[in-house]
Amino acid sequence: MSQDMNRDDNHDVEQRLRAALRPVDPGAGFVAGVMARIAAERPRSARLPRTRAAAGWLTFALAASIVLALLVAHQQQARRTQQGLEARRQLIQALRVAGDKLELASRMVNAQQPPPNSSNSGA
Amino acid sequence: MNSLLRRCILTLAALAALGVRLAVAAPAAPLKLPEFESLAAKASESVNVSLDSSLLGLAAGFLDPKDPQDAGAKQLIAGLKGIYVRNYTFDRDITYPAAEVEALRRQLAAPGWQSLVKVRKEKDHTNVDIYISVDQGKANGLAIIVSEPREFTVVNIVGAIDLEKLRRLEGKFGVPKIPLSDDDHPGGAPAPAHP
Repeated sequence: MSQDMNRDDNHDVEQRLRAALRPVDPGAGFVAGVMARIAAERPRSARLPRTRAAAGWLTFALAASIVLALLVAHQQQARRTQQGLEARRQLIQALRVAGDKLELASRMVNAQQPPPNSSNSGA
Repeated sequence: MNSLLRRCILTLAALAALGVRLAVAAPAAPLKLPEFESLAAKASESVNVSLDSSLLGLAAGFLDPKDPQDAGAKQLIAGLKGIYVRNYTFDRDITYPAAEVEALRRQLAAPGWQSLVKVRKEKDHTNVDIYISVDQGKANGLAIIVSEPREFTVVNIVGAIDLEKLRRLEGKFGVPKIPLSDDDHPGGAPAPAHP
């Protein structure tokens, strides 16, 4: 008797499961919903390459900035060197002129002074 | 450069030793050099050098300390605040602009400046004026005006021109010493008087 009751219970559960898991047609709206969702998500997937492109540009800009900064620093150094060499040239030129004129002054002063002991040199 | 610097040092030291008693505080500012436009227009060759302290420092950075000449020059300019040179060379005899030269001389007539050398050689039409300014026994300014028949030169050196340093430099260059003070004379004789 109890065995028959168990069998009935099992059958009942099985029936209910089958009923619950039976294939159901999602209807025409399902396909439309899926397609709409795909369409909605498409811009998000397209945004990714754009971000990558932006990152690429950023890297390029950073590299270009570094190169530009190095170039500017190099140019400044070159200009500084040029100014230094020009200043050195002018310094040497100035010393040359000053030396020449001081020597001229010295010669003229010495020429004006009487030779030492000139009057006592005779016998 | 070596002989040039040596001559410059020697001559400057000798001129300073010519017997000025230098105890007047003097301005260490550069002279206001006239433009000398008329001279520049006629000159066949001109030198216009204006080196202030920053440019002198820059130039000093490019002097090779291992080179004795450069090292000497570096030491010489160590205390300087400026070097200003105007030099004009002409192909023919010219008349110098009296007004501009007079304006320059007026600046050198100000207190602090002393005439160190004044030579007039009528035969050669050559005039040399050297002025020096001294503060506490140390020259802090030098001005040279030289007019020759075909050359006109103005030199203004601003800053501490240490004559002792110049004398030490002489030793380094192997040049005989020039007495700068009474101690250098045997028997303590004073330095020669101003001519």
